Amino acid sequence: MTAARLLFTKPWIWSFAATVIVWVVTVLFTGGASSLGLSQAALTFAAFSVIVGIGQMFVITLGPGNIDLSVPATMTLSGTLALKLMDVQDGMILVGLLTSILLGFAIGIGNYALIKLLRIPPIIATLSISFIVQSTAIWANRGLRIKPPEVLASFTTSSLFGIPNIAIVALILSVVAWVLLKKTIYGRWISAIGQSTFAARMTGIPVDGTRLVTYILCAVLASICGYLLASFSGGAALNMGSEYLLMSIAVVVIGGTAVAGGNSNIPGIWGASLFMFLVVSMLNTYGFGAGFRLILTGLIIIAVILVAGGRQSNR
Amino acid sequence: MIIRKMLFASVAIACVAGPFSALAETSGKKIALSNNYAGNSWRQAMLTSWDKITKDAVAKKIVAAADPFTTAENQATEQAAQIQNMILQGYDAIVINAASPTALNGAIKEACNAGITVVSFDGIVTEPCAWRIAVDFKGMGESQVEYLAKKMPKGGNLLEIRGLAGVSVDDEIHAGIQAGAQKNPQFKIVGAVNGDWAQDVAQRAVAGILPSLPEITAVVTQGGDGYGAAQAFAAANRPTPTIVMGNREDELVWWKQQKDKNGYETMSVSIAPGVSTLAFWVAQQILDGKQVKKDLVVPFLRIDQANLETNLASTQKGGVANVEYSLEDAQKVISSAK
Repeated sequence: MTAARLLFTKPWIWSFAATVIVWVVTVLFTGGASSLGLSQAALTFAAFSVIVGIGQMFVITLGPGNIDLSVPATMTLSGTLALKLMDVQDGMILVGLLTSILLGFAIGIGNYALIKLLRIPPIIATLSISFIVQSTAIWANRGLRIKPPEVLASFTTSSLFGIPNIAIVALILSVVAWVLLKKTIYGRWISAIGQSTFAARMTGIPVDGTRLVTYILCAVLASICGYLLASFSGGAALNMGSEYLLMSIAVVVIGGTAVAGGNSNIPGIWGASLFMFLVVSMLNTYGFGAGFRLILTGLIIIAVILVAGGRQSNR
Repeated sequence: MIIRKMLFASVAIACVAGPFSALAETSGKKIALSNNYAGNSWRQAMLTSWDKITKDAVAKKIVAAADPFTTAENQATEQAAQIQNMILQGYDAIVINAASPTALNGAIKEACNAGITVVSFDGIVTEPCAWRIAVDFKGMGESQVEYLAKKMPKGGNLLEIRGLAGVSVDDEIHAGIQAGAQKNPQFKIVGAVNGDWAQDVAQRAVAGILPSLPEITAVVTQGGDGYGAAQAFAAANRPTPTIVMGNREDELVWWKQQKDKNGYETMSVSIAPGVSTLAFWVAQQILDGKQVKKDLVVPFLRIDQANLETNLASTQKGGVANVEYSLEDAQKVISSAK
């Protein structure tokens, strides 16, 4: 009984509970025949949300007002430049990945430079950077789709023992992020900063350095996600990131990370990402129109957050 | 010398442009393009076409200027402010791809009152003083089902990929597809998803619904989503249905590969991004004093099994199959509307 109670105090349990319900309802439509296909599709597409969600979670953990709105533009530019650089040659795959990561570094530094040096609030700073980044992406390739290298394309679209490769990559990144968050001093620092920046500064935590690293981390993860997504879907598109702005924030919030900062949650991001994909699939499967679907998606998200949040305040 | 050169140039253009040409009237006129969005390959091709055709027209002194302007945020308020700036800058005509069919009407009315010719295309506006170059989107949707009905008289299950919810183009193509399915009751639409005219979004949406669907014989689309659908079918290890394509290069390449491999048959239909150049010539003709009906219809660009290779060859790598319109094309469209 105590084990069950302990489980219920975990904020991430609610996103998983919601995911299981939605999964069952969707699979019931075909009497269970679709369970394998649906699970594989859910893992594949949730992986992209997980990767950007982790980055966004680190930033949100920094406390009120911290958010990175340049995620979609970063994904677009990273995908565009990497694919252009690789130019369908298998030998260039690592060079492309490295370029993406460096690009993420640069964008993260740019974001924090605006926030720190010019004292612009993060929401405005990252939005302005995102205009610059998006325009660079347009300028770089004028929206022409270049195919990914064959090896990379088949890696991103195939699976190992029935688990999509993309999901495995996301899982590895999640474990690294979990270690970073729970087992290193850096993880303690960002939680401390999120709970009280002032107190953190007083205790001698290098607040600016930690925040800089966090914004870089978020941009690098967005870059990697853009690189993978462009390779997965057969080319970069100028609007390929647009879905992931709200998605990256939603999976963090639904996953049980405190919006006010200081408390983050990686398992919840997986639950929330799977949930976000399955909700749309469920409503599509039952044939709801787009308008009704959007309303229902909103209502379901509010319900999940209410249930999860209500439990938290009872503790 | 210069005058003689200009005369020569004028005569040369007059010969090319045919009997209707009267470039003297518009050589001092300035035309602006007000564009609401540039964030996808179709819009980029549209702007490139505009640039190519209008630069040539300016060099030949058919018009004095043809400047393109794009708003950053794809919002009607922003575009309305942009139009007001254009009025102040003294443009003689504004060619517009509008963010909203109704929300810009106030700004457009102001432009008309200032004596400016307004020609809307693709994203058209309802303000009566403006001209509209519309695509028969409903017909485009219907033509897909008609093609399928001819190809497979036995019918079957259809999966419909829709565009961006809430945009009028999506509603019109959808209405056409529904009308087509009603006329051909052997086809049943068993599922519909929103692909937002983007391959990655379409791929995700189709992958989500596919496990729950019965066998699909064909996929009807809106353009920019066919390749994503094909990938989702391949990932789910399902037989590839007949997927109607939308003129993107990656779609055409995929179709060509399938055709070479197993004789795969389909069609591809979309509007050519070069429709912006048609709007340019229509604006020029109106400035020239020609009588032009307020509502014009531009044909959509359709690619079939027979002309796939030629269209693929002329399509830019990674781009969209395109047609740029000439002055004569515009005159044909204008006269056919009368």
